[in-house]
Amino acid sequence: MISSFFASIGEKFLVLSNILGGITYLFYQITVALIPPKFDLDEFWRNLYKMGVKSVPIIILTAFFTGGIMVIQASVFVKKFGATSLVGWGAGYSVFREVGPILLGLMFSGRVGSNNTAELATMVVTEQIDGLKALAIDPFRYLIVPRVLAMIIMLFLLTIIGTVVAIFGAALFGKFIAGVSYAGFWTSFSQNLHLADLIHGLIKAAIFGFIVSLNSCYFGISVKGGAVGVGKAVNNSVVASALGIVIFDYILTYNIT
Amino acid sequence: MLQLNDITLKLDENLILDRISLNIQPGSIWGIIGPPASGKSVLVKTICGFFKPQKGNILFNGTDICKIPETKLLEIRKQIGMLFQNNALFDFMNVWENVAFPLRRSNPDIDPELLREKAWKRLKKVGLAGSEDKLCSELSGGMQKRVGIARATINKAPLNIYDEPTAGLDPVTTSKIYDLLLEIKRQNSSTVLAISSDVEGLRNFVDNIIVLHEGKIRYSGPEKGLETSTDPVVHQFVRGEEEGPL
Repeated sequence: MISSFFASIGEKFLVLSNILGGITYLFYQITVALIPPKFDLDEFWRNLYKMGVKSVPIIILTAFFTGGIMVIQASVFVKKFGATSLVGWGAGYSVFREVGPILLGLMFSGRVGSNNTAELATMVVTEQIDGLKALAIDPFRYLIVPRVLAMIIMLFLLTIIGTVVAIFGAALFGKFIAGVSYAGFWTSFSQNLHLADLIHGLIKAAIFGFIVSLNSCYFGISVKGGAVGVGKAVNNSVVASALGIVIFDYILTYNIT
Repeated sequence: MLQLNDITLKLDENLILDRISLNIQPGSIWGIIGPPASGKSVLVKTICGFFKPQKGNILFNGTDICKIPETKLLEIRKQIGMLFQNNALFDFMNVWENVAFPLRRSNPDIDPELLREKAWKRLKKVGLAGSEDKLCSELSGGMQKRVGIARATINKAPLNIYDEPTAGLDPVTTSKIYDLLLEIKRQNSSTVLAISSDVEGLRNFVDNIIVLHEGKIRYSGPEKGLETSTDPVVHQFVRGEEEGPL
């Protein structure tokens, strides 16, 4: 009974160590591939478009309603205490520092990270990765490095777009739900927020992009089995990315603040 | 051209290749046959450097590919054209892009018109002119196989490896594929290594044959000598008899 309990813990520890070791090794391989930076530019541009440009509509939609939801939640207290002068600051502060990077990171992980894992895993099980190697192409420089770079860059840029849209959404909902004028919202926003608040969120966005890219590539290329393996890989990738985002958000918030 | 000396490979503690030794001369055609899970595909993948054997060495034109780093291995692979068992076509590319891809990668500065012409000629050669813009998933099994052959041979590599070039194809298409492989071999003066479960079809195509069973070579030599082999495994496998060690 006791021995099986410890065996189970030991097994889980080994699995976790294996994953962390694999991700660390992948990070090392990517770093090596970037010194000097030699990777496939066509594939890089293709991924920027596929992962970034095609994500813009869903990011705009998510961000707009996120801004709105924050004002709706706050509107009860704003009306009760007449704290209309804090709406712009409150919305901006939380969007810049927390809600923007976290929600967009999770959305990006769900849309782009899972797709990336599924694509890479399918390429592994259908021998397409071996096909690349057989054609004397380094899969890391051709597939992995462009995807990792594209994800970091695009989550950073999408967070800028999402943040702007969320603030716009908050101002719009603030006007019609909490009765806060645009001028009042802008005054509260511009007088209380600083560039550091935005930078705080953008640093998080870049790191979240890196977490999603590493996880999605690792679980994609380390897949075992056929269709069932691909499903498991996508599932593990999304869970690991979500966990990574939340844990690193805590670490970053604690340290940067 | 290719020499395997005492190759032993274990994967997850399972012995897959057991002391395999071979000497393949330039311009020859070798066939590999054997029951399922006898190590045929693993053997050719080991020759391509996908697996590192625990013992022995593989000399490709004098270079031991078991001892060189991945970057050097990529250079060796430029001299090998490989058709995978399930074709391994890139599903994010159409037929034309799949065939042109190796040529574009090995000659980044190639004139786009020349690239177009070469890829089109290769597709015409395998009877797929007119299917350039189709996705590989839209093609039948035989057509996908031909795209795989076109991709494996467009660079005119000195060694061509075909893993099950006729698997799942009807007898007429099988015969056409073997004719095509022979024509390509003559044009490129290449060395060929082919795996097939279609023993009769393969025997008509090759000069020499290897019979693998449980990772061991049970026969290696001229195709014509296969009938006279006294090994019971070879005897049963080649004749397709029900009684025997298999």
